[in-house]
Amino acid sequence: MNVNPATSALIGLFLPLAVSVLGAFTWRRLGKTLDLLSVGVALVGAVATGIGAWTLGQSGTVVSVSFPWLWFPGTGIAFELGLHLDALSAMMLFVVQALGFLVLVFSRWYLHDDRFYGRFFASFSFFVFAMSGVVVAPGLLQAFICWELVGLGSYFLIGYWHDKPEASEDPEYQAGKPWYATGLIESKLSPSSAQFKAFVVNRVGDFGFLSGLALCAWVVGTWSGFQGGDPLAWKTLFGAVADGAFAQASFLGWSGMALLTLAGLLVFLGAMGKSAQFPLHVWLPDAMQGPTTASAIIHAATMVAAGVFLTARIYPMLTPEALVAIQWVGGITAFVAATIACVQWDFKAVLAYSTISQLGYMMLGLGAGAAAGGYAAGVSHLFTHAVFKCMLFLGAAAVIHGLHGVQDLNRMGGLAKKMPLTAIATGIGTLAILGVPGFSAFWSKDMILAAANAKVAIAASSGMPVWSSMVPWILGLGTAGLTAFYMSRQWFLAFLGKPRDHHLVDHAHDPDKPSVAVLLLLALLSFQFVWTGSVNPAQAGSWFSGLLAAPVAGLNASLGHALPEGVLHHIHLSTMLSSVALVALGVAAAWLLYLNLASVRHRTAEWLRRDVPTNLVWKFLANLWFIDKAYDFLFVEGLGRRGGKAVAKTDMGGTISLDRAIDQAAGLSGWAGRFANLFQSGRSGAYAGWTSLAVFGALALVLLYSK
Amino acid sequence: MIDLVLAGPDRLAPYLLLAAALFSLGVFACVTRRNAVGYLMGIELMLNAANLNMVAYGRFRTELLAGHAQVATLFVIALAAAEAAVALALVYAIFRNIRDVDLDKIRSLNGE
Repeated sequence: MNVNPATSALIGLFLPLAVSVLGAFTWRRLGKTLDLLSVGVALVGAVATGIGAWTLGQSGTVVSVSFPWLWFPGTGIAFELGLHLDALSAMMLFVVQALGFLVLVFSRWYLHDDRFYGRFFASFSFFVFAMSGVVVAPGLLQAFICWELVGLGSYFLIGYWHDKPEASEDPEYQAGKPWYATGLIESKLSPSSAQFKAFVVNRVGDFGFLSGLALCAWVVGTWSGFQGGDPLAWKTLFGAVADGAFAQASFLGWSGMALLTLAGLLVFLGAMGKSAQFPLHVWLPDAMQGPTTASAIIHAATMVAAGVFLTARIYPMLTPEALVAIQWVGGITAFVAATIACVQWDFKAVLAYSTISQLGYMMLGLGAGAAAGGYAAGVSHLFTHAVFKCMLFLGAAAVIHGLHGVQDLNRMGGLAKKMPLTAIATGIGTLAILGVPGFSAFWSKDMILAAANAKVAIAASSGMPVWSSMVPWILGLGTAGLTAFYMSRQWFLAFLGKPRDHHLVDHAHDPDKPSVAVLLLLALLSFQFVWTGSVNPAQAGSWFSGLLAAPVAGLNASLGHALPEGVLHHIHLSTMLSSVALVALGVAAAWLLYLNLASVRHRTAEWLRRDVPTNLVWKFLANLWFIDKAYDFLFVEGLGRRGGKAVAKTDMGGTISLDRAIDQAAGLSGWAGRFANLFQSGRSGAYAGWTSLAVFGALALVLLYSK
Repeated sequence: MIDLVLAGPDRLAPYLLLAAALFSLGVFACVTRRNAVGYLMGIELMLNAANLNMVAYGRFRTELLAGHAQVATLFVIALAAAEAAVALALVYAIFRNIRDVDLDKIRSLNGE
């Protein structure tokens, strides 16, 4: 069957939007029908975009349709809305739609007796619409608009239980009674504060995005021989970069290439916000306050994927210098989040930090550069991670639902007997995220590490300092071991061993059949052969890389520095072996500490308590590297409260203080209000009189001065 | 002088004077009347003063308006009828609520 990819994309865009608009007004009444409607619509969207992606992949073309939308008369600038479908965006669109469908099916079971049942499906459909808009965007402007809509959608979903207090202050949550308390992270913000935090932190990134967008528009419009149209359309933007128009340009001592680096990094700042990159990652763990199924889509295909997707999308305009910065950000993010995940005791919090860490991996891969294979690696990991992380979160939802809202790993244990299918599915997901040979992330994460290693060789040959790419690579390798440790720790603590809370664990059970089917399907997709088309784990090429071959070739041609095939293969093998060794080490450590030998665990705990340096490390990690606390101190408390007070009291030159100036401004507008109020007597006769006076006065003026 | 104004070959001026007088009366009614019905009558006076103005120009300044004035006047008459119907309905509804048509007493939107 042949479907025009553009048509399928329109279906995937606007059907969910229609559902969300309908649901916004009717979710209270339609509740139980709205879910079927949105699941049906999601299925139609998934099938349509799947066929569209297939058609596009077969023909190997790029479909680009857009229409001018925002004119600036006299400048020739007309910003465009539309669709741009190539291998990357068509595949991503399909993944968004398909995972959206699966999560919706699961949510029907997970949220079945929730108070706001219908509203979830309306918000969710809106979220899918917004993300699809980012994916198919034909230029930076539409990407930005839909980007903001994604933020709004996440706001709806994170604050879904908007009237809940913090979990630690919620008696219902403590008692574990009404299960709609599930999904909250203990000792974190309330859902309404969490949604606000996510929004504000993303503002920081979006400020960068908007500035970068403006800089791009200005630079393209000024130096590229711009002929009119949309300066931010991919074609125009990347065409200007490829023409080398920037090389001759200069502005205030900045060369054009420096400006391009700056523009790329500013847009990347937006990606850092959405994709929770250090130091803007702080919103993501708090975003766990939404329903766990909402987390499943946020962490898989929509919100956090948007940043990585955007970085892959603007790849042609990222200069080597910008890529180095991106690689560092990715490496640091991966490592910091992985260390924090090692000491979390909340089931969802471990997954939250693992998402941040994996997103860091993707950026690490992208930052390695297309020549080193980083582009294909980062994008591949985006897709494989989307699948298994979606499944891990749905598995978490199953566990949390089964335990009536309890997320504390201390109270779990032995769940494998009670919910075997969930245990198998999440076990496969855990193996996948570990990077065990035969599973999807082994293939994609290994590509990332190989690319980071190849980047070291490239840097050495091209005269860049070697440490600039050596550090991210080492951070990436270390993260592989840490990932193995904290993910297997979580799975061991939850599913194996003896139940630590019999009362709780005894009543756990697998989800209903459709939900289990979703879990198992996603588990199947977490195997490597699905992605590479071969059971040989050392197989690097795949149908998926084949799809990305054309864009990668284009990037290589424009950036140079392609690495000889033989060298890459050699690097690949050594990286593979070292990462597998580190993974084995991590799993073994988790096994020893948390499962096998209880006495070892106790002894270690004793030792941790006594041994001051280690204890300090532990405290440092448990406090999330003090990043949240630093923000609280600097911005919320310092700049916000004390700073506000200090500025208010500052006396500027003795006569005018800011405080008094504001008072006077307020007094002035109060006086103006009282003056205007004189005419608002409420007597219609007076209004008629004032109006006539004004008209006659105006007429008299016209007659007097018209001669 | 008066003869020239009122009975000269160009007899536009008397109509304009009459229209101005009518309009002033209408404004006066609107400013002073507290009864809603009186207020409406004032509005009608102003509308018809404007009509008279237009018809007079249409008759004596054909080179300016070429028959458009009469058409516009018909529109205004139709609109005035509609306006009167709506306004009288409003006045009636107000009367049913507060047993009065004194405009000064209709001030519940004033927040007092």
